[in-house]
Amino acid sequence: MNGHLLVIAQIAGRRCAFSALDVKSVIDLGAITPIPRAPAHITGITALRSQALTVIDCRLAIGFTGQTWPTDERAAVVADSGHSYALLVDGIEDITTAVGDPGQVPGGFGPEWSRVATGMIETMIGPALLIGLPALLAGPEAMRGEIEAAL
Amino acid sequence: MDDLLAEFIAETREMLEASSGEIVAWEADPADRARLDTIFRFVHTVKGNCGFFDFPRLAQLSHAAEDALSDCRGGRREPDHQLVTAVLAIIDRIAQMIDAIEAGDPFPEDSDEALIAAVNVSRETYASDGQEGVKEASSAPLHASATEQFALGQADPSEDPAATAPVRRADPAGSASSGQRTIRLPVELLDRVMSGVSDMVLARNDLAHRLRQAGNQPTIDGPFERLTTILTDVRDAITRMRMQRIETLFGVLPRLIRDLSAELGKQVMVDCDGGDVELDREMIETIRDPLTHIIRNAIDHGIEAPSARLAGGKREIGLLALAARQSGNTIAIVISDDGRGLDEDRIAEKAIATGLITAAERSAMSRDKILNLIFEPGFSTAEVVSNVSGRGVGLDVVRQNLEKVGGSIKVASAPGRGTQFTMQIPLTLSIIAGLTVEVSDQRFAIPQSYVEEIVQASAKALDLTQMGDTALITFRGNRVPCLMLADVLELQQSEAARRDPTLVMLRLASGDLFALAVDRIHNHGDLVVKPLAPAVMKCGIYAGSTLLDDGQPVLLLDIANIAAAHDLVSEARTRVLQPMDETAAVQELPQAMLFTDFTGRRSAVRLELVQRIETAPVSAIDHSGPRPRVVIDGLILPLIGLPEAQLTAPKNNGRVRLLRLSDGAGDLLYAVREVEDAVELSSPLRPVPEDPLAEAVTLINGAPVTLIDAHALFAMHGEVPVAASRPRCCLPDDEWAHTILAPLVTSAGYEVVAEDTADPATIAIVFDEVFEVAEALGRAPAGPVIRLRDHPDTAADASTIYRYDREALLAALAHAARTLPVSPLHAGARA
Repeated sequence: MNGHLLVIAQIAGRRCAFSALDVKSVIDLGAITPIPRAPAHITGITALRSQALTVIDCRLAIGFTGQTWPTDERAAVVADSGHSYALLVDGIEDITTAVGDPGQVPGGFGPEWSRVATGMIETMIGPALLIGLPALLAGPEAMRGEIEAAL
Repeated sequence: MDDLLAEFIAETREMLEASSGEIVAWEADPADRARLDTIFRFVHTVKGNCGFFDFPRLAQLSHAAEDALSDCRGGRREPDHQLVTAVLAIIDRIAQMIDAIEAGDPFPEDSDEALIAAVNVSRETYASDGQEGVKEASSAPLHASATEQFALGQADPSEDPAATAPVRRADPAGSASSGQRTIRLPVELLDRVMSGVSDMVLARNDLAHRLRQAGNQPTIDGPFERLTTILTDVRDAITRMRMQRIETLFGVLPRLIRDLSAELGKQVMVDCDGGDVELDREMIETIRDPLTHIIRNAIDHGIEAPSARLAGGKREIGLLALAARQSGNTIAIVISDDGRGLDEDRIAEKAIATGLITAAERSAMSRDKILNLIFEPGFSTAEVVSNVSGRGVGLDVVRQNLEKVGGSIKVASAPGRGTQFTMQIPLTLSIIAGLTVEVSDQRFAIPQSYVEEIVQASAKALDLTQMGDTALITFRGNRVPCLMLADVLELQQSEAARRDPTLVMLRLASGDLFALAVDRIHNHGDLVVKPLAPAVMKCGIYAGSTLLDDGQPVLLLDIANIAAAHDLVSEARTRVLQPMDETAAVQELPQAMLFTDFTGRRSAVRLELVQRIETAPVSAIDHSGPRPRVVIDGLILPLIGLPEAQLTAPKNNGRVRLLRLSDGAGDLLYAVREVEDAVELSSPLRPVPEDPLAEAVTLINGAPVTLIDAHALFAMHGEVPVAASRPRCCLPDDEWAHTILAPLVTSAGYEVVAEDTADPATIAIVFDEVFEVAEALGRAPAGPVIRLRDHPDTAADASTIYRYDREALLAALAHAARTLPVSPLHAGARA
């Protein structure tokens, strides 16, 4: 990962990093059409030019429910298996380069974070939690499903 | 044929490229089952394809490889290194031959015997079970025509080198013989252009909005209009580029079916229906192979030999019917044959034998489930492996390919009656007609194809009742289940909207009808449907998203799924094989719109008269004239049926429902308390001479209803069609009268006629001096005369009017018109 470009964002008050290769662009979120009966972490859909983006609230997707988080109304656009998503975060901070490879910390990151984090990564502006997209997009239900399957 | 050949080459290359990695991996680990399956499918497809072209060497090679691999799959042979090498050598040879075919070169000289011998070397040792039935060299196709041979020799000189790129054909529609030039393009490029054009449309809309705000600017508006027109054209063209009628796919089938049936000694008639259904070009490519596989299977296994058919009491010619239907967000392609049907027991036995299910599982499975086991990998029921449909590999590939694009396949079959495969393909990026509805301030789209009718009425009129948790309405005398969209979506809905819903009557593909209650209807138009993220699709409510003209995203409801989730779908019916004469003539009864007027009387008016049902605020009724009027769509229309007393506290939020009646020439509005429904006038009509406004009384659902006499209504209240009753007027025959006087007279409501058709009922406008001369000659006009003078001096004779004295002229015309006798001609026209 050394030298990789990272997009740094604040999620639920923590500094997180996305690989810049995953992030197609950062947009200002316009009107969001809510999707009734969709999972809670899916805020709705929004239009980016002629494209429809699924808006994922990262805070809820990680599992921090019951709390409202501020947002700077900007979102990172990512694509996963042919679908485009807009990731709603507290704020987009910066783009920087990674220093070294992602690693674990003793004691872990806590259950919610561990599910979505690839590991801690050192960057030019300090350490950040590297987020894995598939786990994030799957939402908190995914983990519950796994636990139920394991039981 | 060139086209098909090019297709074959492109496809084989694509598969070679895709499987090259698999081959290497298999070499490393010959026991890897998944890799084995992939390679097996490759050679199987090559074998199948070269059956249609005359490539006996290719067919032999692939058949040999397929047999060897099949033994491995069946556990009759261990994939050792020697076998892997031999198979790889065959695949390499296939690649060489494909190159040769494309370049138009002769095949490599080397004999294939050595390669075939190499894969078969240890075969006898393992082949122990009935493999003798395999016909080793049965691969030579029987119906290769001279043209194909020719095509082979010539192999596509017209194709450019781009054909070697792994891209799909961009325009298979261009027939081989036509001179239309075609090129191949990657689909991604088309996608990019298409989304670019969509962006342009949105940018244009934005610009249009800003221009409107800035006010009229002639120098900009002109070019902007042009831009709009061009953009619309381009958008249409791009859309057409992606969409293709399924016809192009059906077009090649009759030939294929003919060849196959001749080869198998069967007689098959093919019936294609729904060729005009449009499908994404890429989707057509995706279903091409699955469709071919199923057809081959149907002819090979489904349809019996002519003698067997006759013995079974059927026509000796088998019927293979293909039907494509767009049903909402999916295209359903149904392939049905009237052959022997699937044998449940044999399938079950086979499934147990191959270890797919256990005997215990089998007894718990429904017939349907067992039949659908044929899509499991490695399943086959054919006793004799033939060159045509092979070992059942087809169906698992079919399912795999369809599932890759989000489609599905299922089979239904009646023993001895036939088999029916139903492929469901999603409409990714298809354009469908849709209806936009609103509920709880949010908009949703419904595919138009489901919409049967839109009903606007109060809950009471529809007899909305709750039966347990289910709501029912009464629609044309039938109880129809009703879903509240707000409840389906778990949205909050205002009480007012709930009491006074708008119902969209939806007809499912199975024929079931149900009502969906929404707050209001917006509009309908073409929607470009885009797929949704998997997590959203999982809700089972939405089929896609679309952007409205203003760029707002809107969700497309998955009606079929919503209905299924609420158990509104009855058991699927086998409709396809029904005789076609279902549309037996039903005698059309006259229909009428049933309503309750403000006196509380239940009345009806013939449906043909009802133009529309309007809703207008009470405040829009203008009482200033002798009779009330309402402005609707910029037209002032007379209004009747209002109660004597003022509408003080109207029920419907200060709105009144109006039936807009039309006699073809003029419209009038009939205010009603409640619109009920359209009904058939099935009971006898009993005239009521004592009520001038009633045509008859009749019984509807056992209750008496007054049928309004439209003739009397329009005679009394209709805006009298102007043309029929205009008094006629003839003018002097000069330039001034034509250009200046005539428009004034016409706009005052008079018909200008030529002088020679004048009769006593025609008002004549003449210049005084002309009149004097005419009078002197005894040729004065028979009817009333208005005399004009050239000078405004008032001293002149009061019997003349100054020609620019507008008021006096109109007054004179009006006075003359009043004194006119009713002409017999006009009386006749009014009768």
